[in-house]
Amino acid sequence: MTNDDSTCGDRSERPGTRSSRRGFLATSGVAAAGALAGCTGLFGGDSGDYGAPDYDAADAAMEAMALSEFQGSGAILEGRPAPGGRSMEDLPNLSGELSIYLGGGEGGLYLQLFDVLEEVYPEFSYRSQSKPSSELALQIADEAQAGQLQADLFISIGAGSLGTVVEENATRPLTEETVEPVPEAFVQPDRNWVGIAGRARAVPYNTEQLDESDLPDSVMEFPDADPLQSATGWAPTYGAFQDFITAMRLQEGEDATLQWLEDMQAAGIQSYDNEFLISDAVSTGELAAGFANHYYALRVLNGSPDRPLDLHFTRGDAGSLVNVSGAALLDRDENAGLADVFVRHLLSAEAQEFFATRTYAYPMLPGVQPVGDLPTIDELETPDIDLTELANTGPTTDLLTEAGVL
Amino acid sequence: MSVSDRIDAASRRLKRRSRGDVQTLVLALLAGSVAVAVLTPLLWVLNSARSVPLDRFFDILFRQTTLDIFLNTVVLVVAVTALSVLIGVPLAVLTAQTDLPFRRLFTVLAALPLVVPSYIGAFAFVSAFGPRGELADALAPLGVEQIPSIYGLVGSVIVLTLFTYPYVFLTTRASLLSIDGRTVEAARTLNHTRLEAFRRVTLPQLKPGIAAGALLVALYTLSDFGTPAIMQFDVFTRIIYVRTTARQVDFASIFSILLVALTVVILLAESRIERGGETSAYVNRGTDRPGVVRLGRWRWVATLFPLAVAALALALPPAILFAWLGRSTPELAGAAVDFQWEFAWNSVTASALAAGASVLAALPLAYLSARGDGRLSSLPERASYVGYAVPGVVVGFGLLSVALNATPFLYGSLAVLVFAYVVRFLPQAVGTTRSSILQVDPQLLEAARTLGKPPLVAFRTVVLPLVMPGIVAGAALVFLTSMKELAATLLLRPFGFETLVTYIWQVQEAAAYGQAAVPALVLIGISALSMLVILGRERYDVKE
Repeated sequence: MTNDDSTCGDRSERPGTRSSRRGFLATSGVAAAGALAGCTGLFGGDSGDYGAPDYDAADAAMEAMALSEFQGSGAILEGRPAPGGRSMEDLPNLSGELSIYLGGGEGGLYLQLFDVLEEVYPEFSYRSQSKPSSELALQIADEAQAGQLQADLFISIGAGSLGTVVEENATRPLTEETVEPVPEAFVQPDRNWVGIAGRARAVPYNTEQLDESDLPDSVMEFPDADPLQSATGWAPTYGAFQDFITAMRLQEGEDATLQWLEDMQAAGIQSYDNEFLISDAVSTGELAAGFANHYYALRVLNGSPDRPLDLHFTRGDAGSLVNVSGAALLDRDENAGLADVFVRHLLSAEAQEFFATRTYAYPMLPGVQPVGDLPTIDELETPDIDLTELANTGPTTDLLTEAGVL
Repeated sequence: MSVSDRIDAASRRLKRRSRGDVQTLVLALLAGSVAVAVLTPLLWVLNSARSVPLDRFFDILFRQTTLDIFLNTVVLVVAVTALSVLIGVPLAVLTAQTDLPFRRLFTVLAALPLVVPSYIGAFAFVSAFGPRGELADALAPLGVEQIPSIYGLVGSVIVLTLFTYPYVFLTTRASLLSIDGRTVEAARTLNHTRLEAFRRVTLPQLKPGIAAGALLVALYTLSDFGTPAIMQFDVFTRIIYVRTTARQVDFASIFSILLVALTVVILLAESRIERGGETSAYVNRGTDRPGVVRLGRWRWVATLFPLAVAALALALPPAILFAWLGRSTPELAGAAVDFQWEFAWNSVTASALAAGASVLAALPLAYLSARGDGRLSSLPERASYVGYAVPGVVVGFGLLSVALNATPFLYGSLAVLVFAYVVRFLPQAVGTTRSSILQVDPQLLEAARTLGKPPLVAFRTVVLPLVMPGIVAGAALVFLTSMKELAATLLLRPFGFETLVTYIWQVQEAAAYGQAAVPALVLIGISALSMLVILGRERYDVKE
């Protein structure tokens, strides 16, 4: 939160970053800590379109909140442009108690954002339970069948799990207004889920042990790559990995995928519990390369900038699949409206800036940039796959079992 | 005595007996329903395996992976049990029969590792000796690039042995203290060396004690989920958990049955050893203790053994935890929920409810078993022990299925979690309650009855105060073991209900070691209390 002063001037020159109707910028600009928000014009933009209620405690809290509450810090975040898109300040207030099923380990980072929302809206509180996304999806399916849904909202770190709960008729559609700013590819056709942050499959590699040219452009060639023998890692129990195998299965067929799984094992691949551990192991030289979501490497680097770690993206295959974290409203009588407005908050400029700079995810709003020197989402050669098909994990688990990976 | 008087007396007797029969019947019904309730999760598991098509059943059963997991499990149990005997028995001999310096201190130290939940030990060992652990970090500047991996079988064996050998130590020590010294002296007068006397006279008498401890070690190892999971070693508990959370009911139920079958095999093996020991050994509870062996110049050298064990099992985990305490790794470790004291409160609530429920459920079982006549009357009590032997992961899996399919309105409620604890730990309450009831003279109750008190009042005013210490001890044991139960808690915790244990598990998964320090230390502290309760029961006689 200290690096932004240098970029402040640039930002203030941008058109359209004026203060909001409530003089938010003027207010927060006075406070020393608020200087940053003062020049980014974070809460600027169109106003009044959302039938804003009267000025109240929530608005006051919002004014006290600087962009720094949402933005991460560290070397790789320097020189960021201000986020564009619908501001949180223009959204209806949150009020009531929300129950959230939250998928996965790094999904836990989202809790920091939810906590900020709790601070902004005194009337709002949430309860959450975290488990791996795939586990939660099956649990929600069970609960739906038993008529005992325990939560209002399911936030998954993979589209596959979202597809599972949609198939089980455990969800209800989001409002059009909520999903409106998100590109079509990241919204389920019937609005049963919406992406809130993107995550790309990538190959973290150790730059002291490998040149990028050592790494094949096709993930299918990895088993034969000599420098990778007995020096690669994967996390087969991890949901994102299983989505990656599902994508491979959809693209290459079951036989080729099974062969690939067996060949990788013959090449001495090592199993890890999660992909942060893989990225960390690559950065320390324990592994030469691995299969992991892109942001784990960025997280390692933001903590230890000197580690010899970089990301490689394969071309047009499962190895560069872009999956999304997404949200689905669970079909429960209570809190449907609150859950929908909550998701709208997750898709605000501020929240998207949070996802981009704190979780290093690909933002869902075109106006918010990914961090670092990441290729933009359109520069990635992603496979041509319908994300919802990632829901079909059954055959994938069978393949993994058959190959002796699980 | 007139005829009418006689008839009167006879009818009174008859009435009393039939009233007694009704009481026994009610008691039997109560006890029986508790037993059935406790067996439900296991019955459900058996039943769900029955619904797997036969070809699928055999397909899963005879897979290579199934065989591998079976072998892994057996190797782990055998290795841990054998090593525990190799550590526990010498420690018991050293502290009970030699002039080892600081014997009392070493006795307590040798028993204390029981206090550390094994998964916390595993967690500490991975962080100390893992690839990115403290040791690797310390050696890195010296040019050591890699240390041997702690993961897998080796790590699981080391950790489980270190934290379960005290079972063998305590039971062996108790047997040693009850041995008649005169038999050893007799052997010595027959020109046996000390070692020979030990082997031929002492050891046979120790066998039942060692076997009892080994049984506890083997059962613990078989049922432990946390240690192999952290060490990434595929044994039945770990696979059942993975399959359960993936809702692969066929796999989960078949593996559960295999796991339960292994449990039964271990129980049978132990009962054979025990019975063999009882018939051949000369049993004497006499006061003549065997003479103390003088270690001579080995006296101080011998302290190295208990010291080394204590350093690894007792000093290392807390040292690692305290080291984490000062460190913050949130950015690197990613994301876990911040610790809240509410988690500790949740642990306490669920465990206290389990303790209360267990004590209530234990009363009819214990009473029937202690006072009833015939073999049938102790059947419910015996049945309750099944849950104790069945691993938490199987109980959790069974109850999850029952709740979802049979009682959806209870799904996700605290009641299910509490019930799981009762299923697992009820026998602790039954055992202590039963032994206290046995110590109460049955005539006391009859005396109260002849003074005209109704049966329940008589029980409450006369028997209950006398058995109260046993009940309290049972409640304490259930409470403390519930606090530590991992697998069932992970599977059954209600929405938004995190406990110390589930929190530790989550930060462990996220590799956010620093955040585990406080809850892990709290848990170790609480577990230490359970040691006081166990030692307070004087079964193991640490005082000598």
